[in-house]
Amino acid sequence: MIQKKICMLGSFAVGKTSLVRRYVESIYSDKYQTTVGVKIVKKVVQSRDSEVTLVLWDIYGEDDFQKMRWSSFNGASGFLLVADGTRRATFDKALELEQKSREQVGLLPFVFVINKNDRVDEWEFDSSMDDQIAAKGWTTLRSSAKTGENVEQAFSLLLGKIMG
Amino acid sequence: MSSIAPLFVRELGYALFESRGKGRFLALSEAPAWLLALWPSIPSPPDTIDLAEKSPFLENFLDEAHAFWASALAGECRSEIWVESTPAGGEVPLQAVALRLQAKPVLALHSPDLQFREHVRTLQTARNSLLDHERLLREIQKKEILLHCIVHDLSQPLSVMHVVLDCLAEDGMDEKKKRFLELGKNASEQQESMIREVLQIFSADLRATLDAEKGVGSAPDLRASANAVLTSLGPAFEAKKVRLSLAASQSANGNWLVRGEESRLRRIFSNLLENALRYSPPDSQVSITLELQDEFCQASVDDQGPGLPPDLRPSQIFGLFSKGTQASGKVGLGMYFCRITVERWGGSIGCASLPEKGARFWFRLPRAFATPAEQNKSNAANKLPSAATPPQRPLAQGPLRILLAEDQDEIRLLTTHQLERNGHTVTAVANGKEAFDAAAKAEFDVVLLDEQMPIVGGVEAVHKIHRASANSSKRPYLIALTGNNTDEDRERLLSEGFDFVLAKPFRLSALNDLFHLTAKAAPSPPPSRLQSQAPPSAALPAGLLERVGGDEKLLHQMIRTFLNDMPKRISSLHQQIRRKNSHQIASLAHAIHGSAAIFGAPEASAFARQLQNLGRDCDFQRSAQVFQLLKEEIAKLEQNLRGYVRHDRSSGSRTPRKPRRVAPKRSRK
Repeated sequence: MIQKKICMLGSFAVGKTSLVRRYVESIYSDKYQTTVGVKIVKKVVQSRDSEVTLVLWDIYGEDDFQKMRWSSFNGASGFLLVADGTRRATFDKALELEQKSREQVGLLPFVFVINKNDRVDEWEFDSSMDDQIAAKGWTTLRSSAKTGENVEQAFSLLLGKIMG
Repeated sequence: MSSIAPLFVRELGYALFESRGKGRFLALSEAPAWLLALWPSIPSPPDTIDLAEKSPFLENFLDEAHAFWASALAGECRSEIWVESTPAGGEVPLQAVALRLQAKPVLALHSPDLQFREHVRTLQTARNSLLDHERLLREIQKKEILLHCIVHDLSQPLSVMHVVLDCLAEDGMDEKKKRFLELGKNASEQQESMIREVLQIFSADLRATLDAEKGVGSAPDLRASANAVLTSLGPAFEAKKVRLSLAASQSANGNWLVRGEESRLRRIFSNLLENALRYSPPDSQVSITLELQDEFCQASVDDQGPGLPPDLRPSQIFGLFSKGTQASGKVGLGMYFCRITVERWGGSIGCASLPEKGARFWFRLPRAFATPAEQNKSNAANKLPSAATPPQRPLAQGPLRILLAEDQDEIRLLTTHQLERNGHTVTAVANGKEAFDAAAKAEFDVVLLDEQMPIVGGVEAVHKIHRASANSSKRPYLIALTGNNTDEDRERLLSEGFDFVLAKPFRLSALNDLFHLTAKAAPSPPPSRLQSQAPPSAALPAGLLERVGGDEKLLHQMIRTFLNDMPKRISSLHQQIRRKNSHQIASLAHAIHGSAAIFGAPEASAFARQLQNLGRDCDFQRSAQVFQLLKEEIAKLEQNLRGYVRHDRSSGSRTPRKPRRVAPKRSRK
């Protein structure tokens, strides 16, 4: 069976673990529980005519307390770059991490996910950020791990990019 | 390894494996409990196990481990912590260490369970705090916006209302209408007091934020901030094929430090540039220009778009909830944020259409020669190129030559009308630049400057006036009119070079109070018939009528105001002493000191001054004692003034009054 390693990348508390849990277990919790270290889960999906095992590496969010170890990316086929639409600073962090990923592990397929789309009243991303993203040519989705909006699609899009 | 050692290693919670090549590992120690819970079928020697097959994380780490064993590196190679799930649904934190024991490649696995839990707890607390901090900052920003909304949007119509009512009061009207007018004035005053109360609450919250900002570090560099934003927005401009440039004048000699805070300054540039990009056609240019203007640095962002909408005034563009058509679920606060931030740092902001095409958005900030704290500590004369002589307050016995700068048309019109009706000569202008130009052409006794005006604000105008009069022996008395009327704002404006601060809405009585309070004794007018006929019990404090230029009407107005306001002030003061609010005690005592001085009550005035100092020193016990003495003195003064007013009413019909200067005579019923 084909196996594909996918990493979750983004600032802390953007919802990486929630996206994985929503995708793999179809569950969601409002309570924020920080991720320490790396958690790995698997999910078998159908891609075209074959089954693919996705090995999802839920990597802790980088901040002043925990720095990324890029060795976790060894063997990765792609990644989901996650930001929190209600926190502008997570957009800057996403830009920084994407650039670092290119330096550390080279070009990998990825999808940029702007999470927490269920909280548009608190939205801090504006059209200028959309312009910046468009200028970079990133594939972008707005998602909500809480409602499940675009979660499945984000992983499918990424898998599509990986499988070519 | 001896037979005891494997047991010892297990007791320590470690599992040791020797690498046998081709991904196979031989167990060197007894399996600890956590390992059995994870992988129950660990083979005993001489059988080997494929660890990479057991765990994707280990599979990944073993590449690093093999590289380490193959190298000549000393020490160990340690993995980060990862979490494995047991078949029963539990979670086990793990860490792997590659090392050499007796020259053999050994992999040690252990579960740092306790440390891991402690680490998670610490990190969770730290990150929760960070998130709370971010939330708090957002809340503060919302409050900041609300604060300005209250000050500007609610106070402005109130200002108009006040002045209109005052003007109406000067016209002749019957007693019934007068009562209605009084009701209207009382209601608007009550509303103003409520606004001020809310303002004080927000102000206290904001002060903490601003203090935090002061502690963050040094003043930001305007050019560096512009450069940083230019770099980060470069790709977005490229994508729309809009050229972006930055030009800075050489006159600053590399010093572009301005008053403010780095991240917010970048946000301002960001907002202005994003706005320019939004309206820029492809293949056009957006230019940032930095210039030095005396004590200010100005940044301009020019685009080649369609220019400003003809039906929108600049103040509307910088207004609250001014939303672009491309709003993406976000409240339109970008330009509003720029305005309130720039103004709070003592600067000004504006925009205009360019002559041919495009628009210019600019902001101006004071250069940072010294921190605000340093400025407050230094002498006012050292801060500004002020006149050699201290500010002279004009004497109040004659009409004043007043220059009024106010950008709100209605308020300017009504205030001018009110001042002129009281005999003053008024030149009214709409912004600080016009005020400065007018002050350069003619001589004025008093300049009343609204703090926040377009083109050139009140603070900048006052700096210019100071500089222009640096070599002169005389300069006008400079008064700030401000809606930001907290104590902190008053101190800030005084430190900027104003001689006095009047709260908006403007009241003529406040201006009168100011000059009568400080006026030198004017030549005594002929004895008033009223005063000479009054019985001893209703005698006015010596010189009071002279102090108001013999204007009995004005005196009555002042007494009414005093009798109306003083009980509230005394009550508030008592309340603040009980609450041990030193700032408010000092502020209220200061106001009472001024009022008591006007009415020639030296004892009350002295107690109020004493209380002001005690408040500042946080001596609440003595404050309470002095308050009682002050209260008694104020009661005596109130009694005296009431006696005077009663006597005047009863004798008023017999006493010929000075005819009104403007209002038509009215007959008594």
